[in-house]
Amino acid sequence: MIYGDKKTGVLVQGATGKQGEFHIGLMNAYAKQVGGRGVVAGVTPGKGGKEVHGVPVYNTVREAMLEHDISASVIFVPAAAAADSIMEEANAGIQTIVAITEHIPVHDSMKAIAYAKMEGCCVIGPNCPGLLSPGEVKMGIMPSGLFSRGNVGVISRSGTLTYEVVDELTRAGIGQSTVVGIGGDPVIGQTFVDVLERFGTDPQTKAVVLIGEVGGNLEEEGAKSTDLPLVSYIAGITAPPDKRMGHAGAIVEGGEGDARSKIARLKNMGVPVASRPSEIPQMVRDLFKDHC
Amino acid sequence: MKLREYEAKNVLKDAGIPVPAGFLIRSADELAPYLGALGDAFVLKAQVDVGGRGKAGGILMAGKADGINLAKDLFGREIKGLPVKEILAEKRLDIQHEYYLSITVDRSSKQPLILFTESGGVDIEITAKEHPKAIRKVIANPLMREIPPFMIRELVGTAPKEIGQIISKLYRVFLEKDVLLAEINPLVTTPEGLYAADAKLIVDDNALGRQGFTINRDLTEREREAEKYGFSYVEMNGTIGVIGNGAGLTMSTLDLIEFYGGKAANFLDVGGGAESERVMHAVRLVCSVPSVKVIVVNLLGGITKCDEVAKGIIAAAIPQKVIVRLAGTNEAEGRVMLAEKGYEMLDTMDLVVKKAVEVAA
Repeated sequence: MIYGDKKTGVLVQGATGKQGEFHIGLMNAYAKQVGGRGVVAGVTPGKGGKEVHGVPVYNTVREAMLEHDISASVIFVPAAAAADSIMEEANAGIQTIVAITEHIPVHDSMKAIAYAKMEGCCVIGPNCPGLLSPGEVKMGIMPSGLFSRGNVGVISRSGTLTYEVVDELTRAGIGQSTVVGIGGDPVIGQTFVDVLERFGTDPQTKAVVLIGEVGGNLEEEGAKSTDLPLVSYIAGITAPPDKRMGHAGAIVEGGEGDARSKIARLKNMGVPVASRPSEIPQMVRDLFKDHC
Repeated sequence: MKLREYEAKNVLKDAGIPVPAGFLIRSADELAPYLGALGDAFVLKAQVDVGGRGKAGGILMAGKADGINLAKDLFGREIKGLPVKEILAEKRLDIQHEYYLSITVDRSSKQPLILFTESGGVDIEITAKEHPKAIRKVIANPLMREIPPFMIRELVGTAPKEIGQIISKLYRVFLEKDVLLAEINPLVTTPEGLYAADAKLIVDDNALGRQGFTINRDLTEREREAEKYGFSYVEMNGTIGVIGNGAGLTMSTLDLIEFYGGKAANFLDVGGGAESERVMHAVRLVCSVPSVKVIVVNLLGGITKCDEVAKGIIAAAIPQKVIVRLAGTNEAEGRVMLAEKGYEMLDTMDLVVKKAVEVAA
């Protein structure tokens, strides 16, 4: 696993909101199932002293840090305040910050991510489903029922498409080491390169499925950066240029970042690219055949 | 959202970047009072929300004598299918040299990227291919409010020093106006000094509210209606309507339609946790496009509940065939409801898409 394990104490910002409350419940149900610590504290300014599913809520991250051993966080704060939450956590010394929030203005994300980097923290997201290491820890909103433990890592810019692929893998008997949703925004903290670097030093991970989409060239940068065996899938072959396909970052701009040229570049690097999600399990099996 | 040229130039002007003397007109008659100020040679530029308008006949060279007639002609044209409602009449510049300047958000470094080249006036992509060394680049730190002087020196090189001030001013616009792309191409030298001869600004869609915009003009009317319900919606021109949850899964569904030889009519992501009423609106919106023969619903429920989706599909009661794939939370309940009403359901996204392509053929 990467980024966290059973022993990781997680903090949730936006703990008393509808989303925060709902997902604290689910994250702690998963922690209970695997014997992990899960969410140990919540933060909502002005709601200090309350409890959510038995988890104590504080006014500031610093207050929560004084009472608990915390090394990771999940942010459900609305877009206008989410960048501030990232900086508050980085400043308080939280190492892994998962920002679920969608619609954060890009300039806010750029600043918050640059600040977190200065403080030596890593940000996953924003606009992401978080991460899940089966049997260890869940930080985010992924439906844990679809996952199974194993040695394939998954990195994805998407949410539900990741669940689709994880479901296919699990049904095919292929378990996952850690599944990371890096987010659908143009500016995100951990990119394919960063997550692949972690997978590279993770003894559990033997191969990685890289799920990308139109926009930018972070997929190719990632593939170039690693020696791990990869299988890829790129969504958006039919995406028209200059149109945002749901994600703020899923856009072909100035003729750049279209799916066909991305797929061609990945194939040139020797990465097998699936033409539809249902092909991925067999391609992963072939990968293991080739490398064992 | 892309600003129109005259809006972008107003923003630059307010920031202290010189732009050519220009006037916005909404009919040919409005040009008459400006003819004196525009002088003997000026340009009429159609303000339409498409790229490549020059090649499409949207830019005309004019003079005192033929200006009004040419403006009439331009107002009567369609540029790439769009009617011309506004024209920017701009004094022609006595151009000595053309430069290129842009500031973008660099996904790779997650920071602002500033590009400058002494050969402007052409597409930066062409320069990048033919003379990659001619493009000077710096990456700025988004936590700093100004670009440090050494970066400006690196960018400007032997070009006129005054360009440094333009770069600083454009960077301030980039930060303050939530800009994703600020481009001056060409930035020109004339006997009267430097001018931003053309300007392009794209404002972050997620910051339109705080920048004082009430609507996103880049969207079509139907796309805007979809936005009200919280859907991400993109119009395409096929026969198979698509509803999915999550951008990636929905995109993947469209690609699968092409894989099996069909054509999608739209992209519609209902978003997470959609309730029956929203699903109903989504189904009705998709089927309101006349070319749609069949609708595929591909739903992988996490926070979205399958029974809510089923309720929404039934409530929409549309004439076209709906083929459904439901998986995840409350799947069994949803399936029972749809089965009672005779809806066709299949287990995987491959199967629903294949079936829809057959129905549409």
